[in-house]
Amino acid sequence: MTLSTAFNIINSAFTTIGTQTSTIASNVANANTPGYSREIANQVTDPFGGSEIASVTRVADDALLDQVNSATSDSSMLSAISSGLSTLAQTVSDSSSSTSTGALSNGNSPSAMLANFDDALVTYEASPTSAQSAQAAVTAAQNVTASLNTGAAAVTEVRTQADQSIATAVSNVNSLLGQFQTVNNDIVTGLAGGANVGPQEDQRDSILTQISQQIGITTSTNQNGSMSIFTDSGVTLFQVTPVQLTFQPSGQLGAGVTGAQVMVDGTPITGSQSTMPIQSGAIAGLVQLRDQIAPEYGAQLDQIAGNLISGFSETDQSSTNTGLPAEPGLFTDPGASGVPNSANYTGLAASIEVNPSVDPAQGGDATLLRDGGISDPSGANYTYNTTGDSGYTARLQQLVTALKTPATFSAGGGIGSDTSIADYANSSVGWLQGQNAQASSDASYQSSLLSQSSSALQNATGVNLDTELTNMLNIENSYMTSAKLLTTVTSLLQSLIDAA
Amino acid sequence: MILNSVSTQYLDTAMLPAIQKAQTQLSILEVESSTGEYADLGLQLGNQSGYELSLRNDDDLLQALTSANGITSTDLTTAQSGLSSLLTSAQTAASGVTSWLSNGNSSAILQTVGESSLQQLIALANTTSSGQYVFGGQNASTAPLDDYYASPTSTAKTAVDNAFQSYFGFAVGSPQTDNITASQMQSFLSGPFANLFTSPAWGSNWSNASNDNTTSEIAPGQSAITSTNTNTPGFQQLAQGYAMLSEFGNIGLSAAAEQTLGATSLGLIDQGVTSVTATQAELGVSQTAITQADAYMSTQMTQVQTEIGNLDDIDAASVATQLSTLSIQLETAYQLTAQIQRLSLAQYLPT
Repeated sequence: MTLSTAFNIINSAFTTIGTQTSTIASNVANANTPGYSREIANQVTDPFGGSEIASVTRVADDALLDQVNSATSDSSMLSAISSGLSTLAQTVSDSSSSTSTGALSNGNSPSAMLANFDDALVTYEASPTSAQSAQAAVTAAQNVTASLNTGAAAVTEVRTQADQSIATAVSNVNSLLGQFQTVNNDIVTGLAGGANVGPQEDQRDSILTQISQQIGITTSTNQNGSMSIFTDSGVTLFQVTPVQLTFQPSGQLGAGVTGAQVMVDGTPITGSQSTMPIQSGAIAGLVQLRDQIAPEYGAQLDQIAGNLISGFSETDQSSTNTGLPAEPGLFTDPGASGVPNSANYTGLAASIEVNPSVDPAQGGDATLLRDGGISDPSGANYTYNTTGDSGYTARLQQLVTALKTPATFSAGGGIGSDTSIADYANSSVGWLQGQNAQASSDASYQSSLLSQSSSALQNATGVNLDTELTNMLNIENSYMTSAKLLTTVTSLLQSLIDAA
Repeated sequence: MILNSVSTQYLDTAMLPAIQKAQTQLSILEVESSTGEYADLGLQLGNQSGYELSLRNDDDLLQALTSANGITSTDLTTAQSGLSSLLTSAQTAASGVTSWLSNGNSSAILQTVGESSLQQLIALANTTSSGQYVFGGQNASTAPLDDYYASPTSTAKTAVDNAFQSYFGFAVGSPQTDNITASQMQSFLSGPFANLFTSPAWGSNWSNASNDNTTSEIAPGQSAITSTNTNTPGFQQLAQGYAMLSEFGNIGLSAAAEQTLGATSLGLIDQGVTSVTATQAELGVSQTAITQADAYMSTQMTQVQTEIGNLDDIDAASVATQLSTLSIQLETAYQLTAQIQRLSLAQYLPT
């Protein structure tokens, strides 16, 4: 040991302290940067008895990050579904005011409108000579068709919106994958050169979290530090180079129109055709909304509309010229002729309307509701009230019964098939609100899971200012001591020089 | 002992989610406590929405039926009181004819009784309730009986005159009237004259009413006949009895023929009274059915509304408790946030 060795050791201490101070400075500066992982300067003894910083490492927790990413995917999938469903549920936002009673208290769902229509028919039946009752029943029928039209439009709107959101999400993922490639290359190059790649790794993690909002992902890291990304179903999204996601938005998605799927290298990764469909992320949620949930509700509305047209159709009443086909009566689809059969109900909810011949506002006659002959107002073949009596109620009774007798509903709507129109409409509202409540509670559960995972990750990798400050005090002390040592060694040397 | 690290950023923002959640919950509770109902019922009920809606629709239907029954009841009461007046008038006529038969006064009284009674019958048959003819059956917008004494001569009166002319070979008021025997009069009254008061002559000469009565739904799935018509035997028999008095009571018949006329008329009036009473009983059945249906529906509505209340209404006490708990929680969160912000080593270092 010589005094010059002591000098070297003190010198190494100053270098070490400098690096540590800069690490602390960086940590303090980024204390409030989201996604920042704190850095630790690893101090070791050098071969000459001094100290040196062997490396600066980043405190990362890959397991927690994976958990955050997967929670992000689930949460964004459910919130996509939930927001679509709540848009649909607004069209049936019934029964918000039970304090008011009577026909107008039930909101504007097809179910409530059908109930009002039923009430109007019953009132008309009690006073068949009343022109007001006839008019009221026709107006109630128009409200039924209007609410079906509104519901069908909402379904189309939700599906179209979802389709456009998928397109946005896909282009977002493509751009994120491009950024990912740049950052990933920087990391590989940096690691090979022994540089501190902490900031790049932070950036890469943040890109991963952004991608996982759109698509559920898993990752794996190679020995050289390069990361590969796969969808949660196992399709490769990034391996050294990114793949290109393609998607063709469809524009308006009316009833019965199917949208395109998201493709990777010509293979669908969404939809029923896909062998490896993605399970989570906003895209998965939007596809589910567009292809399953919204169409299912749309099918229910179509079933109601179709059964209304056929349930209220008029049969041949003439005694001589028998064999005429049944014709649409009160409810009709202006674009079609004849009564639709149950296989052709698709799209009826959007087009159903009250027959103009019974609407006084369009030059029609509301009393045809009582007498029949709506389909043929000029002739008499479909007129039920052959005597012309103003107290005739048999046809009105048939109409009231038509709402309550079991009708044919296809199982495609996902709710019972052998019920009356009124019950089916009620079930439809129950189905929608049930889905809505479920999605809303799932989404809020996932969102709190996500916030827990994020907190855990933040605590594991984030900066604690008090810790940094304590370290700073330590370093300050060791700096003071080192400086004192330097003065002492210098004065020792000076004594030697003076003695000589 | 493992000391988990806590990041400063987390510590500073730890209370934020709790505060946000409490504030959201607070706004919901405020709506609920002011309205007494769930803020978003659809979200609250979920699958049960369909059930709730069907209850609500049931309730509406029951209310619609109950108010429709109100209209129907008014019609039925009007018809009943019309029939009662008819009975009173028939009894007055009957006692008039009976006293004439026993005291043998001038037969002009027969003609007066017949004419006034027939006029009352026609007026009562044309009773309306809110614009509908209650004795018209399904044909509720046409007066059931035309005025018999109208000018120009009504079809009903013409038919009576023609029947007399063709049976006896001379017109009413001819001097030969005196020659009609009691048995001739009897066979005329029970033959050609009686035929005028049964279908089809009744329908073409007298009545515009429909044979079919109106029916209404008085409770879910339950219908009742809610009117009667002038084609019932009661109206026909009384009209027949009155018309023969009015037409032939004072045309110079022989005393024997007049006795036959009075007796035949009295018999018809008696039959008519029985028939009208039967019609009243039929309408009474419908009235009872409506009263029972109303009572039944009222019970059902109470049940349905209770069930709706169970689904829709919030527990006010529980909401109030939740509100105060939340306020305390929110205040605590605010205080904690402020205190945590003060907890920094930097504050305690000597400068």
